[in-house]
Amino acid sequence: MEKLPINEEFLQQLELLQLLIKNSVAGAFGGNHKTRTYGTSCEYADFRDYVPGDDLKKVDWNAYARFEKLYLKLFLDERQMHTRIYIDASRSMTYGNGNKDTQAVKIAAAIAYLSVCDMDKVSIYVIHENAVEEVISSMLGKDSFVANIGKLNGIVFNGDSCISDAVLPLNVGYGDGLSVIISDFLTDNNYEDAVNYLADRKRDVLCVQVLSREELKPKSRGKVHFFDSENTSRYYRKNINRDIINAYKAALEYATGRIRDLCHSREAEYMLVAADENIADLFFERMTEMGVLK
Amino acid sequence: MRLLYPLGLLGLIAVPILIIIYIIKNKYVEQVVSSTYLWTLSEKFLKRRNPIRMITGIISLILQILAVIFISFAISHPVFTLPHAAEDFCFIIDGSGSMNITLQDGATRFDEAKERVRKLIADSATGSAYTLIVAGDSTDTLYQSIEDKERALSLLDEAKPSFGASGFVNAVSRAQEMFGFNPALSVYVVTDKSYEQTENVNVVNVSDGAKNYAVSDVEYSFSGGKLIVGGNVISYNGDAELDLNLYIDGAEECESTQKVEVKNLELTPFSFESDSVDFASLKVAVAQTDSLMNDNESVLYNVRYDRSFTTLVVSETPFFLQAVFKALGNARVDVAKPDKYENLTGKDGYGLYVFDGFSPAELPRNGAVWFVNPKSSVENSGFSMQSEISLSEPGKLAFSTSSSTRVKNLLAGLSKSDIYLSEYVKCGQYRNFINLISVEGSPVVFAGTNSFGNREVVFAFDFHNSDVPLSPDFPALINNLIGYTFPAVVDNSSYFCGDSADINVLANCESVRVDTPQGKVVYLDTSNPVVSYTLDEAGVYTVTEIIGNTTRTVNLFATVPVSERYVTVSEPSLVISGQASSERRDGRYEDLLAFFIILAVLFIADWMVYCYEQYQLR
Repeated sequence: MEKLPINEEFLQQLELLQLLIKNSVAGAFGGNHKTRTYGTSCEYADFRDYVPGDDLKKVDWNAYARFEKLYLKLFLDERQMHTRIYIDASRSMTYGNGNKDTQAVKIAAAIAYLSVCDMDKVSIYVIHENAVEEVISSMLGKDSFVANIGKLNGIVFNGDSCISDAVLPLNVGYGDGLSVIISDFLTDNNYEDAVNYLADRKRDVLCVQVLSREELKPKSRGKVHFFDSENTSRYYRKNINRDIINAYKAALEYATGRIRDLCHSREAEYMLVAADENIADLFFERMTEMGVLK
Repeated sequence: MRLLYPLGLLGLIAVPILIIIYIIKNKYVEQVVSSTYLWTLSEKFLKRRNPIRMITGIISLILQILAVIFISFAISHPVFTLPHAAEDFCFIIDGSGSMNITLQDGATRFDEAKERVRKLIADSATGSAYTLIVAGDSTDTLYQSIEDKERALSLLDEAKPSFGASGFVNAVSRAQEMFGFNPALSVYVVTDKSYEQTENVNVVNVSDGAKNYAVSDVEYSFSGGKLIVGGNVISYNGDAELDLNLYIDGAEECESTQKVEVKNLELTPFSFESDSVDFASLKVAVAQTDSLMNDNESVLYNVRYDRSFTTLVVSETPFFLQAVFKALGNARVDVAKPDKYENLTGKDGYGLYVFDGFSPAELPRNGAVWFVNPKSSVENSGFSMQSEISLSEPGKLAFSTSSSTRVKNLLAGLSKSDIYLSEYVKCGQYRNFINLISVEGSPVVFAGTNSFGNREVVFAFDFHNSDVPLSPDFPALINNLIGYTFPAVVDNSSYFCGDSADINVLANCESVRVDTPQGKVVYLDTSNPVVSYTLDEAGVYTVTEIIGNTTRTVNLFATVPVSERYVTVSEPSLVISGQASSERRDGRYEDLLAFFIILAVLFIADWMVYCYEQYQLR
């Protein structure tokens, strides 16, 4: 199935936005993201006294004319960011009419495009079972985006996934940008450690929880026998009535609250996205309001 | 409880079928979902279950089973026995004239009585038996001991009041007879009368404070060339000042009016004087309205008003007859000589043929016939001539002393002074002739009906051989005989309801038709000279007799009897003798309405459950 129905118009609109990075960026290469260190950008930062050995090109001669003392003019440094996007590729993301996989891929592609527009590097990974597979590696520039983004269509959503077990062994960088985890987070498996690990590595973290409409507001009534798509040995057999529906709503609130509270505790961003939610509304309204984009 | 249609219970087969369908249909629906995580997690948040919710899934099935059971029972039509709940009722409705008095709500007392009975029947338990007797001028049992409540109510509508006096005696005796057989009989008498003492009878009084005025005893006479109309007026509920109006010949405007002060229950006389001597009808009416309008007016018809006839006198010496007919002034008289009679043109068009000293070869068929001094027997005449008798000395006429009404009427007004004759004709007469005057035992004046049905009078002597024509009784006798020959259709036009009117069937009458005040048409028997008809309605009756091409029409007026004009009547007692029993019969409850209501509730409940399951939780 084609999972990337993102058109050119949408991409052009995306170019107007920019990812906001909270943590100081410590990339090795110059880029569009300002750092707290002094560098060679055009944006004035401060003055300091000249010490021997300083580059004379940085001496502010106008100040010398006024104060007869040598001062160096300092400018902000701008670094390149590395955006890492992790897509939960478990079977629960694709089964049924939810189209959670499509929504996940579309979000990943849009964030990737935002990053390449800011001259950032983008890597996209999928999490299968306990491992991470790199789908696109260090994509830089729009040409590379166009050339590589189609690989997302090849992602196979199958099996189970354990986010923490998959992410913790990875070299996720340090303070060099945004990490995005896109999953339904409907699992007992540990994902808290992954979030903590990424936050500890001074990376901005955005957790996007994608749920289908049926999961948000189930319509099933009466006697049902649900089998889990990831593991058919797991099942749920009940006569669904109002009590159970109320309990389900409480469970949903608990599950979303679990990831939301975790993100808030680690100053990470959290978004609950319906699988059929309009991607343009998601980016131009909700993410802007949340401060993820500007 | 018993079932009228037990096969209806076969519908219960649907119950196990329904359960089987429910079991087959109500399997767990298997479905693969993306994750059972939330559903499994919801078990931790499941609060203590509402026990009612535990049966939520089968509420619909329970309702449907109940619906099937009730439908099956409804089809089998269960009849429940209610021990000792039914009664035997005997309703006696007073159908007398006073029950036509109008109540304040516009209905009559009789309507109110029917309504009371209707309510008693409607409130009674099914299985009760009903008897309905209407006691009017006749006692009619509309139905007896029927158990069909609907039929009893339906037949109740057919009960109608009379205008005559109440036949309570017969009705109570019928109830007494039924009570003798069934001492548990509940007797209800619905009447406007009150009773000081009752026994085994429930009296339902339907009277209220009505007022009633009545005109009665209206008569007319002539005096000094004037018409004098007199009578009485009475008020039955307090003193009143009444306006009385006199109407002549059905005019809309009254001829005369007068105010009369009337005391309660006292007959107050009144009198009108009018110039309308030659009237066809007169009416005296009270201008005020009251609860019983039938007795507010009295109508009299001049029964002789329409009597006119033509006479052919065949005589050599018609002087006496012409003189007397002229004196009586109500006949056109033609005279013919005996030798001209047989060839006389148009001799068939007369109402009366008088043959004086002449006997025709053939008796006229189309009119009355008088023979004076007949000369020979005439076929079909009803008498035979035997011989002419000459008396040595004038014989005195002997008037009949018969107590017969007809004889008395024919000899009415005669002084019966000494009258003599010297010669007469001895005649033999048939049985349908009555002898009026005789000489030496031989009838000389007799009257009857000939073979053609026409009235016939025979004077078996020559007027010239007697002093009859010179007697003052002669005009009176002739007048009476004319009245007999041409009888009025009725002799009296004013009656009370329940009276019988004697209607004279005129000669050659083809039909007698009576149109009653309420539009009923009755044809009477014409084989007898007089036929009685009972006037059971109040108002104007029209009697029409058709005689060939001639139509004779008279009106009669019947009013409510005096005894039925009282608005309040108190009677001493109404007793059904015997020892009453409280034993009741078993009643039934067979109304399916409760079943249908329950079914409707079940269907609505099932529908609500369905909607609750399908929509409310979404």
